[in-house]
Order: sequence, then structure tokens, then C-alpha cells
Amino acid sequence: MIRSELEEVVGEEYISTRESDRLVYATDWFWLPQMWLDRGAQPTLPDFIVHPGTAVEIAEILKIANTYRIPVVPWGGGSGSQGGAAPVFGGIMLDVKRLNRILEIDETSLTVTAEAGINGSVLEWALNEKGLTLPHYAASANCATLGGYLAPRGSGTISTKYGKAEDMVLRMEIVLPTGEIIRTPHVPDHAGGPDYFHLFLGSEGTFGVITEATMQVDYLPEARLLRAVLFQNLGHALEAGRQLMTRRLSPFVIRLYDPASTATQVKKVLGYEMDGAYMVMGFDGDPDIAALQEQKSLEICLGLGGQDLGREPGEKWWDHRYHFYYPPNGLHFPWMYGTTETVTTFDKLEKLYWAQKRAVEETYADWNVNYIGHFSHWFHWGASLYSRFIIPEPPQEAEEAIRLHNRIWDTAITAVLANGGIINEHHGVGLKLSRFMRRQYGPAWPMLERIKKSLDPNGIMNPGKVGF
Amino acid sequence: MKQMIDNAIATLENCRFCLMCRHVAPVGMVTNQEALTPHGMALLVTSQPRGLVAWNAETVGIVFSEVDGGNSRAHCATDQPFEEAMAAARAELVAQGLASTAVTQLHAHLQQWQNPYQPQLPQPATGVAQVALFAGDEAAYLWPDTLPAVLKLLSAVGMEVVGVGHGRNNGLFAHSAGFPDLAAQLWQATLDELASVGAKQLLLLSAGDYYAFNGRRGGFSRPVSASARVSPADFIEVTDLLAERLAAGEIAFRKTEDETPWAYVDPTHAVRVPERHERVRGLVTAVMPTPPRELFWRKDRAQPVGSTYIQFSNPPLAERLTRARLQDARDSGAQLLLCEDPATLHHLNRYAGEYGLRVQGLYELLAERVSSEQ
Ligand SMILES: Cc1cc2nc3c(=O)[nH]c(=O)nc-3n(C[C@H](O)[C@H](O)[C@H](O)COP(=O)(O)OP(=O)(O)OC[C@H]3O[C@@H](n4cnc5c(N)ncnc54)[C@H](O)[C@@H]3O)c2cc1C
Repeated sequence: MIRSELEEVVGEEYISTRESDRLVYATDWFWLPQMWLDRGAQPTLPDFIVHPGTAVEIAEILKIANTYRIPVVPWGGGSGSQGGAAPVFGGIMLDVKRLNRILEIDETSLTVTAEAGINGSVLEWALNEKGLTLPHYAASANCATLGGYLAPRGSGTISTKYGKAEDMVLRMEIVLPTGEIIRTPHVPDHAGGPDYFHLFLGSEGTFGVITEATMQVDYLPEARLLRAVLFQNLGHALEAGRQLMTRRLSPFVIRLYDPASTATQVKKVLGYEMDGAYMVMGFDGDPDIAALQEQKSLEICLGLGGQDLGREPGEKWWDHRYHFYYPPNGLHFPWMYGTTETVTTFDKLEKLYWAQKRAVEETYADWNVNYIGHFSHWFHWGASLYSRFIIPEPPQEAEEAIRLHNRIWDTAITAVLANGGIINEHHGVGLKLSRFMRRQYGPAWPMLERIKKSLDPNGIMNPGKVGF
Repeated sequence: MKQMIDNAIATLENCRFCLMCRHVAPVGMVTNQEALTPHGMALLVTSQPRGLVAWNAETVGIVFSEVDGGNSRAHCATDQPFEEAMAAARAELVAQGLASTAVTQLHAHLQQWQNPYQPQLPQPATGVAQVALFAGDEAAYLWPDTLPAVLKLLSAVGMEVVGVGHGRNNGLFAHSAGFPDLAAQLWQATLDELASVGAKQLLLLSAGDYYAFNGRRGGFSRPVSASARVSPADFIEVTDLLAERLAAGEIAFRKTEDETPWAYVDPTHAVRVPERHERVRGLVTAVMPTPPRELFWRKDRAQPVGSTYIQFSNPPLAERLTRARLQDARDSGAQLLLCEDPATLHHLNRYAGEYGLRVQGLYELLAERVSSEQ
């Protein structure tokens, strides 16, 4: 019955209940369901995998889902690490990858309008053909989609100059949970009334499905200068980063590894053996301006005790910047792991780092926990701490492993909230951090719940995620 | 076999946690289905020993619905031998008797006739020469105008060659489809012929042939037999040879007067031969009077047509791959498509008319335009 109604909308070819499809759509990159799969246990499977080709088809699918009260989970590339695309209550897996057309590249206003299911690298290639770039350089661009960049409020490698994905979006087309198709005003910065636009960024498919977006793009930079500096003192390195940002020296990247990741990650991927905190900074655009920004920034670093390592280690980092996340360098089983990343203002940043590190390392010392971190996305007012715990030998028994996993997350997030951090900077909330939303938002949370209720009265959209 | 499977599983365990070739993985690209991406396939294969899936017609069908891993390997962020791992997984399914009828028929045909197209054995090589040309089965049966054109071009540069492997497959189908022993036999048969005609050099008509011979020497599947004394410099693509001779002024071409908007289609397997695109491009522009239209999926991101073993294991999918290339060509504004690979030409030509496109063999065009006075 449901299947035939869905078939009427998308056609028989674009709906599947096959065993192999249900398995692969059972989980995104979240450790927990991946752990089930790794141990030969099945996480909850979707009932139907549907591949719509247009916003109108999505609207029709959502109407069917409302009629039968079936959960709908939007799926872009499935590369999210928070369980956002995991079908925890079964239902319809809405794979948007057929919505993959580039609708317009406007070389005057420097915008691209594309459907939300387009693959990040494919979009980038198309822009590069015209000398343009979408400056959201996510390590997952080869698999993630445009909608997947926006829905969890992602940040790319060069966000420090160009902003988060949400800073690049001008306009979106959205299918609301009740099936209406809306288009936000064609520019985001105006005084023409309240800003409902941002409700759809960070709601991770719980408020509707993004089907199209217009993004601000940039010219490919004429120059990209990279340089590495080594600090013996992490606090001094953080201060250097703060000064670069508050003096608006416009680095496109500052990547500062704590001593633990310098000794492990940097060594493993780049082959450098160093004691201290390894920092890479980059400047781009006009070669003369970039060189001057680099020089001024280097002066700040040297003044704070940094040791100039030169261009080569910076460039090597740039060439290998994504390899930190891929096999065999990245995370893998049988490890238990979690990226407990967060963001806060400069005044709290170092304290937050030490508090989280201490809490995780001391509480789980018996499990030989490794805590590593780097500071990756910088703002005028603060920076993100990309921290991670790894337990190389987690409990054998799955339920016990899950309990330990959840306890570590409790510890890490408690440290974050107690020290002025936000529960996440760019991976999103998904299923993983859902239970912390009420704590983070306090009295504002019921307001968000009311918004959710009015947009999605039957609660069909991505239930269990983002606290809803 | 055990070692092959262990290696395959180790690779696929990595691929199951990695999604980084999705942007170029041909089947995932045209179907948008997760199960048909390298990640999906790796997850499926590694889930079977975990008891999460059973082998049945559906799941086995998935494993045989992947082109051959070439694109994924060429773009692999961490250099995983994905195509080898999938070939080993297919070999294991074949060994367990789980392959589909279409796949076993492919095996039977290759075994009996050494090609999948015609019930006919290869023509034995005759003569003696320093240089041999691997004619293969695709030029023999799919695009027969190739061989006379190539012989004319080679003679224009003063090369007399002996044909070997005329009507024999280069072994790639058998390799990808899970018959490593048969692949090695086919390959070896050509190398033995090469030795018997006394040739020290083997010219190859396509990127696929080049990869089949050169890639295999690079270590895939089987070691080179001691009887075949073929050194690394000895496999040369005809397009490379011609491009070199063109650059050296040893051959020249008259440009055509045809101003039809045209595009060059990088053939199946082109991504496996680094910087190939630039070299062939030099040849094409020597005969074409206008600049090319550019396909989006070109050069190092070139995508295959349905000319790998998938044309037998999953013909509808092979057709979709070919149609995707034709659509790309149409979007570029081209009306004429040029390529030298007999198999790519054959597959494009099957549906080109529906896209308002004409397909022309590059070797034929070059042979037609070869200039007599150099
Ligand atoms: C190796 C690796 C590296 C990564 N690096 C980065 C990085 O550098 N920066 C970064 O920000 N993230 C990174 N991530 C996390 C993840 O890839 C990103 O969040 C990515 O943007 C998700 O895109 P996706 O298309 O895969 O989304 P999915 O995983 O499919 O979905 C993510 C969430 O968004 C929802 N969603 C997806 N599409 C839509 C839509 N069209 N409308 C509404 N909701 C939708 C889903 O329901 C889900 O809740 C990385 C992940 C991996 C595996």
C-alpha cells in the first residue's frame, strides 16, 4: 500500500526495499550504529529507500508520510558522524542525491545555484572550470552533498577566512514537513522581517528538506601561502591565533595541534617528529597582500616564542590536510571513538581545552583513553576545539561498550557546558548529542519545541534527532 | 585463494569506512544508490562473514554490478587496491558457484573462444618482426575499421608489425569477473605469441589493452611467466607512439574541413594511464580544424562507457554508463565524438543517434588525413 503510493510518486525504479540497500542506509558515520555493524548486529533498518528527483516529488512523499505517520529521514551522502541520517525509527529514507543539477552559475554576483543533492567535489569541479570555488573545503567533500553541508552547519578547512557553510548560503528552497515548497528571500542580509531562513540551518532535516541552495562563491585565489610554526607552549600558540584573528590578518586557515596530536597525528601523516604544538597558517588571494599578512602574522608568532618552520611543512600539511581523516590514518574499529568538538570565545578557550582533556583523561584512565585535540576553525571572537577521544581496546560486550561510550560523552559535554562551550561547532547534533539539547538551550528549548510542533505536527521529520 | 581473500577483506574493511571515491565511482554516480558505491559494496562483502547478509541472487548481483574499480582506484585517497579486492571477492563467489548464469556464460565463452563476442578462435600470428601489435577481440569484432587504419598509420612512420592476439581478449574481463586463472591464461597466450614472432615490443590499441598488459606486470593477479621476456619499456599505446612521431616531425596530418562541433571522449580505463589525455589530445588537434568542446567528465575524472565485463554481468547498467557519457557529450554542445578505443566507440555508437551525435574512430580519421610528404 505505502510502497505503491510511493511508487506512484517516484516510479518503481526509484524505490527499494532490497536487503543490500537497507543495510547500507542503516547508518551514517556515527560510531554507535557502525559498531553494531562491525560486531555483526543489525542497527534499525529503513523500511523504504526512496530516490526522488524533484522538490515536488519530495512534497508528495512527505504528504504520504503524514498520512501514515511514517518517519522520513533525509539522506545526502551519509557522511555525517552524529547519527543524523540514521533511521532510528525505520520509515522512509529520503536519498536526495538525484537532485544533483547545477541550475545557474552567476559570474557577476559570484553565486551558484544548485540542487541540494549534488556532490561537493563535483560542484567544486564545475566551479573550478570557471575559475571559481565554493570555499567550503570539507574533508568529506568527495562524498558529502550541498544539503549535507548546510543542514548540520558544517565548517570547511578554510572557514577561518570564508566562514561556515551557512555564511555562504544566500537562499534556499525547502520542502516543509507538511509538503509546502517554500523559497527564502533571494538575499539573506536585509531588514525585511524576521529571519526564518536560519531555522533550516542546523535543524538537520527535522524542519524540512533543503532541495536547492544559492551559495556565494569566490574566485580561485591567485596565491596560497602556507607556513608552519612550532610553539613549546600551547597557551602562547592560542594567543598568537587570537592576535591574528582580532587584528584581522585574514588567515584562511590556522590549524593548531596540541602536543599530543603533534606527537601522534602530525607524525603519522606528515612524518615530522616534534615536541610542542604544531601550527599551520595560510594566507591567500592577491600575492602581495597575502605575503604581507603572512609576514605580520609570523612576527606575532615569533614574538610569542614560536619557531618558524618555513613554508615546506605548511605546504605539506595542505597537501595532506584530509589524510588525517581517511583510512588508514583515521578512525577505525575495533576502537571506540568520538569527536567531542566544541567552540567558545577566546577568554575561555584554553581553560575549556584543559578542563575537557583532564575530565576525559582522568575519568577514563583505566581504559587507556587517548585525548587529542586541535584548534581548527577560528573566528574574530574565538575558535573551535576539535577534540577527540579514542579507546583502543573497548569492552567486548556491545551493551557495555555503549554504556562506556555514553558516559565518556557525558563527561566531555559536561566539561564543555561548564566552561562556556557549545555542544558542537560543525558536525551537528544528530542522534548523538540530541540528549544534550535541553541542557544547552535551557529556557529557550521549549520555544524550539513549539516551532518544531507547528512546522511538523505529526513529528515525521527525522525523529529522535536534534533533541526532537 | 585464501591469501587473495584475506588481502581483499583487509582492503574492503578500509573501503567500508571510507567514502572518498564516491565523486568518481561510475555506477554510484549514474544510479545514486549507496549499495552500488565502493563503500556500499565493501560494506556488503564484509558484512557477509559477520552474518549480516547472506549471498543470494540480489546480493551477489550487487558485487557484479561494479565497473571494475579503475576509477575508484585512480582517485583513491589512500591507495587501496579496491579493484583487486573486488575481483578477489568475485572470484570467491565464482568458486562457491554463486555467480549468475550471465557470468558463467561469459566464463564459458572466454574459455572456449578466448573472446566473449564471436564463436571463433583467435587467428594465429604469422611472420617475424621486432614489433607486434595486439589486435585483440574488440578491434576484431566491435570496430573492425581500426586495424587497417592503424596498419596504415604505422606504415606511414615506417613500422612493419606482426599482429598478435587477433580475436583474443586481453584478459581484463576474466580478471574483473572473478576468473583469475583464465585471465592469466589469456594474457599468457598473447605473450607466448609475442615471443614466437620474436617481437620485443607490443603495441596496444587502447588504454584498456595497455592497462591489461602493463598493469598486470605491475603485480596484479599473476606474476609474469619466465618465458615471456617483456621488459617495462615494451608496451606502448599506438596513440603514444603516433603522438611522439608527430612531435618529432616524422608524421603529419592534413586538417579536415569539417567544422562540426566535436569532443574527444576519453575511453574506458583512460584514468589508469596517467597524463594520457594530453598526449592523445595532441594527435586529435592535429587533424581537427576547430577547438574541442570539453566533456565535464574528462582527463583524470574520465568515466567509462559500459564496455567492461559489466556489459555481460549487468547489461542495463552498462547501457546507463554509456548513456551518461553521451549525455555529457550532448551537454558540451558537441555533435561529433572522437575516440580510438574500439570498445568505447562500439558502445557509444549504439545509442549516439538518440543524442544527435555521430561517432568516429580516431585511427580512421588519422589514417585518412595522414600526409604523404614529410
Ligand atoms: C572523513 C570525514 C571527514 C569529514 N570532514 C568534515 C569537515 O571537514 N567539515 C564538516 O563540516 N564536516 C565534516 N564531516 C562530517 C560530514 O561529512 C558533514 O557534516 C557533511 O557535510 C554531511 O554531508 P552529507 O551529505 O553526507 O550529509 P548526511 O550525513 O547525509 O546528513 C547529515 C544530516 O543532514 C540531514 N540532511 C542531509 N541532507 C539534507 C537535506 N537536503 N535537507 C535537510 N536535511 C538534510 C540528514 O538527515 C542528517 O541529519 C566529515 C565526515 C567524514 C566521514
